[in-house]
Amino acid sequence: MLFVRQVLTIAAKDLRSEIRTKEAINASLSFALVILLLFSFAFDPSADTTREMAGGLLWLVFAFAGVLVLNRSFARELPNDCLDALIASPLSGPALFLGKALANYALLLAIEIVCLPVFGVFYNVRWYDQLPQLVLVILLATWGMSVVGTIFSALTVNLRLREIMLPMLIYPILIPCLMAAMRLTTVLVAGQPIAGDEYAWLRLLTGFDIIFTSLALVLVDFVLIG
Amino acid sequence: MNDAAARSFTYLAYGLTAAWLILVVYVLTLVSRERKIRAQMNSLQRMLEDKERK
Amino acid sequence: MREKWLYGLGIVAALLLARNINVMLVDLPDEAFQGSIFRIIFFHVPAAFTCFLCFLAALVAGIMVLAKKNLQWDSFGVAAVEVGLAFGAANLITGMIWARIIWGIWWTWDWRLTSMLVCWLLYAGYLVLRQAIDEPTQRARMAAVVSILNFAVVPFVFFSIKWFRTQHPQPVLYGEGKMDTAYRIMLYSNWVPILMIAAILIAIRMRQENDQREVDALRREAHAF
Repeated sequence: MLFVRQVLTIAAKDLRSEIRTKEAINASLSFALVILLLFSFAFDPSADTTREMAGGLLWLVFAFAGVLVLNRSFARELPNDCLDALIASPLSGPALFLGKALANYALLLAIEIVCLPVFGVFYNVRWYDQLPQLVLVILLATWGMSVVGTIFSALTVNLRLREIMLPMLIYPILIPCLMAAMRLTTVLVAGQPIAGDEYAWLRLLTGFDIIFTSLALVLVDFVLIG
Repeated sequence: MNDAAARSFTYLAYGLTAAWLILVVYVLTLVSRERKIRAQMNSLQRMLEDKERK
Repeated sequence: MREKWLYGLGIVAALLLARNINVMLVDLPDEAFQGSIFRIIFFHVPAAFTCFLCFLAALVAGIMVLAKKNLQWDSFGVAAVEVGLAFGAANLITGMIWARIIWGIWWTWDWRLTSMLVCWLLYAGYLVLRQAIDEPTQRARMAAVVSILNFAVVPFVFFSIKWFRTQHPQPVLYGEGKMDTAYRIMLYSNWVPILMIAAILIAIRMRQENDQREVDALRREAHAF
């Protein structure tokens, strides 16, 4: 119970500080909208072929914009030695990690919820046809992004060039997760439910989430403390 | 037929050369690293000897 | 003493390679559909095996660094990753040359090549991360965590890209089916010298990393007094 309380305290602290300053979320949201706009110039947004790319596009936007949020996650603890204070506190490493991962999860979901209707409008895509399954895919894939992003945020927090290191390190690792999300989203946004072979992708997402959450929980103490 | 076979052989040669070239390049980086370490050690040695003399 | 082992291994590897190349070019008959270019498989596939074996070694090294805190394992890790990347690059380049001659294009998003590319980028990130950290113990720790996470994602990468690509129309791939016995024997027997070369390179690089660390420590000491 103490563990859960610790996790929720950290998550609440991060969310509260983010909601008050709105730094990362504003930057991330603007970035997401700009990318959506830029992609519309890369190809014809009204063509049928765009429908096939819809899923891929959406997750590219989420991945690029999400990194801004993930970077802030541990970086915000650097001024005034807050990170040292957190590590020295009775908080366990896994609790700190899980709290921050939850806060990042909430922020990423918030960005995605705003982007989805905009995406639907810009690219003329009916994303609400298979809403329950789409929500499931978004929840699973965003958790994968959040977990991997948070552990690498902890890893890169003390490095120079942190903003470049984080995307470079996490994008290859996120490839299976993003690929599954893209594939499933393309299918769902075209109006078809997930069926038959596609379930393999859901299983992949779940497996990815479970394995990387466990690994991150085990490794976070080594990253933060040594 | 002979033409295609010849092209095939040429590309085989390119391929094998490329693969081995990559390894050779890596060995060269190892060699250069070795030289750098030797240089650092020598300068350290000299610095220590200078200090001892003083 | 160690030098002698390395030289001995090197000579054996060179002899094996010479013999293999001789057999490869002279004795083996041409493959039915693809002609001589198919012989590149004898380097292409062992290079891939060696690459992943090196990454596995890096995983073990990473775990040992975190468990024992002995920096020798860290040297082993970085050596394994570098050599793995070198063989991975060899695999990618030979794959591209093969693709050029068989399919007419340099890159085909074939699932094996794509997976290898992703893994290559993964571990290249490992090396870039190492460059960003100066302090040896911290560097070893972070690198160990990254090598563990990287290896964990390798199976995911392979499966996801394989499923992804088989849902799209493909060019006809080179036969994965039964290979002629002579060819198969050659494939396995060529793997041996390539593994030996990898082991030699790792040993050399590992010693260099240890030496570099010692020199850095001595420099810090010398500049401090």
